[in-house]
Amino acid sequence: MAIDLKAVEQLATDQSSLKAAAGLAKPAKWSGVGASQDGALIWGECAGSGANPYRVMADLRDLGNKCTCPSRKFPCKHVLGLLWLNAEAVVPFVPADTPAWVSDWLGRRRGTSAAKPASSAPSTGEKDLRAARAGEPEVAEDPKDVARREAQAAKRSEDTERAILDALDALEQWIGDQLRMGLAGFIDDATARCRRIAARLVDGKAAVLAGRIDELPSRLLALAAGDRPRGAVVELGKLVLLARAFRATPRDAEIRRAVAASETREVVLADPQALRVDARWEVLAEQVQTRRDGLVSQTTWLLNLAATGPRFAMLLDFFPASAGRRGSVFTPGERFQAELVFYPSQQPLRALLMRRDASGETSALEWPAPDTALSDALTRPLLAEPWVIETPLLLPQGRIARDDAGQTWWRSDDGMATLPVASEVDGLLCGTELTRAAAIWSGNRLTVLAAQSPWGRIGSHE
Amino acid sequence: MSDAITAETIYEAMGAVLTRWTMGSAAAPAASFWRTELGDDPAEAELRLLALAGQFLSTAVTTEPAAALRVLPDIPALALPTVPETLRPLVRRILATRKQVKVKSDLIHFLAARGWTTHPADWMPEADDDDAPDVYANWRDWAAIAGSNSASRRQTDDRLTAENWDDYWPAARKAALIELRRRDPSAARAVLETRLAGENADMRWRLLSLLSERLSDDDLSILETIAANDRAPRVKALATSLLARLGRGSAAGEDTAELAGFFAVKTKGLLRRSRVVQAEPLKTQAQSLRRKALFDGADLTSFADALGLAPQELIAAWDWNADRAADAALVDLIVATGTDAQVTQAADAVNERDAPGLIISLAERLAPAERARHAEAALNARDIRFELAQLIAGTAARLRDPLSAPAGKALLAALQGDDAKPSDQAEELHALGLIVSREGARGALERLAGAGLLQGDPRLDMLRLNAALDDKGAKP
Repeated sequence: MAIDLKAVEQLATDQSSLKAAAGLAKPAKWSGVGASQDGALIWGECAGSGANPYRVMADLRDLGNKCTCPSRKFPCKHVLGLLWLNAEAVVPFVPADTPAWVSDWLGRRRGTSAAKPASSAPSTGEKDLRAARAGEPEVAEDPKDVARREAQAAKRSEDTERAILDALDALEQWIGDQLRMGLAGFIDDATARCRRIAARLVDGKAAVLAGRIDELPSRLLALAAGDRPRGAVVELGKLVLLARAFRATPRDAEIRRAVAASETREVVLADPQALRVDARWEVLAEQVQTRRDGLVSQTTWLLNLAATGPRFAMLLDFFPASAGRRGSVFTPGERFQAELVFYPSQQPLRALLMRRDASGETSALEWPAPDTALSDALTRPLLAEPWVIETPLLLPQGRIARDDAGQTWWRSDDGMATLPVASEVDGLLCGTELTRAAAIWSGNRLTVLAAQSPWGRIGSHE
Repeated sequence: MSDAITAETIYEAMGAVLTRWTMGSAAAPAASFWRTELGDDPAEAELRLLALAGQFLSTAVTTEPAAALRVLPDIPALALPTVPETLRPLVRRILATRKQVKVKSDLIHFLAARGWTTHPADWMPEADDDDAPDVYANWRDWAAIAGSNSASRRQTDDRLTAENWDDYWPAARKAALIELRRRDPSAARAVLETRLAGENADMRWRLLSLLSERLSDDDLSILETIAANDRAPRVKALATSLLARLGRGSAAGEDTAELAGFFAVKTKGLLRRSRVVQAEPLKTQAQSLRRKALFDGADLTSFADALGLAPQELIAAWDWNADRAADAALVDLIVATGTDAQVTQAADAVNERDAPGLIISLAERLAPAERARHAEAALNARDIRFELAQLIAGTAARLRDPLSAPAGKALLAALQGDDAKPSDQAEELHALGLIVSREGARGALERLAGAGLLQGDPRLDMLRLNAALDDKGAKP
């Protein structure tokens, strides 16, 4: 089954889509490109602006298509780019078994009518392939303009820093007020009080910190009532530490990331100091959370199967909740060779996926043993970043147990450690030995992401 | 910080610090050992103490379980192997995309019939899931242990007896009883005779129904006792129905005679005169309700007797398709009170006429091979869909080429139609995947690909699973 570029042109909603697609029709942007045995379905993964690549798929029989990007254009530039790759045979589309994510999409498709080429729809303007291919002319910049722009940027950065410092003063004032008014009242009214100071922090350009404080009440309420005063002291204490750290080194990228905003993908990629790790990774789990600020965070936890290097990587993307439910990028349990770039940090964790090799052979690598003793793994990250909320851990051999009140615990086989588990656990996870478990330690409680057992890997499949 | 401050000192102070903050009073005075670190400014001291206390409480203090912890036993391995790892995603997808209970149950039974069980991370039965195949008995009991706080029973691998009855968890006990009944019907009956009275009505009914396997005149005594003495009407009714299958229905009384009055035995044919049982026309709704009520209380032998016929003569002489309500009532009567041979005879008789709906009622008492035979016959001779054929066939059929039946041709035509949508015919393709043999599934996939279906199409999941799964089950 073949398509020609004319079809791509017709399908595009406007000239700018076509232009963007032309930019994406390059082998370097794509990985995991394939086609079904009958040639009717094509798919691939395209590097976008987020931490994860987008999964792009199309049905060549009727040009029905789907992409996991949040674009409101339909079809988006990634779909057009994939079709372009196919039409011009830019990369080989190797016949392969249809991946589950493509099959899932096929099953959900409403009908052929939804995917008609745009030819019958009113065109929003003239579209021209040749114009789309043509590159932008290079414009020589006036050195004076460059200097002026740099000066403006420096001024903006100073203003931002001033605003953040003012906001942090307000935050400390607010924390002191909560102590004076009593934590009992704070715990009862946490949602409204946190909302108010979060709004102040947003105004003061401390958006990340605002998001964290917005989510504080839900973390607090997840604790047993008797444990909430302790939880509140820990949460508020971390905020004081973070505010002080920012005052000490306001230009530190890592601290700025925890307070104001993260570097863009381009900045991380351009940083020669950024740690790059080419290894075999296993997808542990994906966590999708709708936040109070209307954003949905999509967190993918990866386990490094190599002997050394950062043990975990976290791919983090945000998109507006209004963009609707997004498909998962990875399947838990999936393994692949990939190069990750870590955001500069004393404890590299957040990363971007740079390049991913076509998965194929399933590696028989065992999960590595925990790198440090459990007590160290629980506390050491706090020496470097005492304000972190979540610490991923690799647990030694252990088992799930319950107390009389129905609370779930993880207990190491040597009996040296017993840790409370955040949520109810049932089924296989509590009916077998867990030879290894990957978990997140947060707020003094454990969330199991995945585990190895005599029954094989256990994890969520949703 | 001075060296003299120990973790114990800090820990001891934390109680007072937390109490003061909870109430809204200054806590720095309660942590005098940190006087130097906290400084002189009272507001600043509270914030510094908050940072220090927070760090201490998040690292040095962890929650401990209040009481002894209970660890559940290992989920036991089952007698049948787990579905191969490569096919688990398909199993998961079928379980996840189809919400109906029947689809799940069909898949689980299909796997068991082919000699496989699910991975416990993909599916496990609930403790009270009586519909789960017997092979899952140990998992049902594990779920019962997980759901209860009681200590585990002594698990035994001995043969079930009246003495070790309480050592078994219920699902394993039921499975052991079924096994015992197959091997040694009298031993199973003897265990029940001793133990049945100690169970609740629901369990008595379930256990008693196991006697339908290898039912014989040796069971008359226990059945008569239960039919006469059991406290629960439902259990009594079951015993009565089992007695009827043994030809020991209640003597033809007034009710049966009244029921027989709704029918007439006539003769037909000139050369080879044969008898035919015809329903008298019903004139009122009240008559129709009365006839139905009489059927509910009757049994096959007595009814035949009241008409002056033997049961098999009644089935042979029945005028099928003239009165659908009477047909359905007779079939229900045969299912409840007929012998296995009479059920088979009725299925054959029904199959000769165009009445697949009646076969479905009879199917639950037919052996898997019989069910498959009737499904195949109905598919080839009648215009029934695969969904209906699957209800007849159950989950243990292995039809060779159902796609060549009229239903298959209709399916292919529908899939190739101009207005075909990607979600059309999903149930029909799923049913096809359940009834076809492994070889047949492979052939069907090829033909469906030829008709334009993509190999990754999720509607083909059941067929793909069937085609890929090694058939290790006992063939009917």
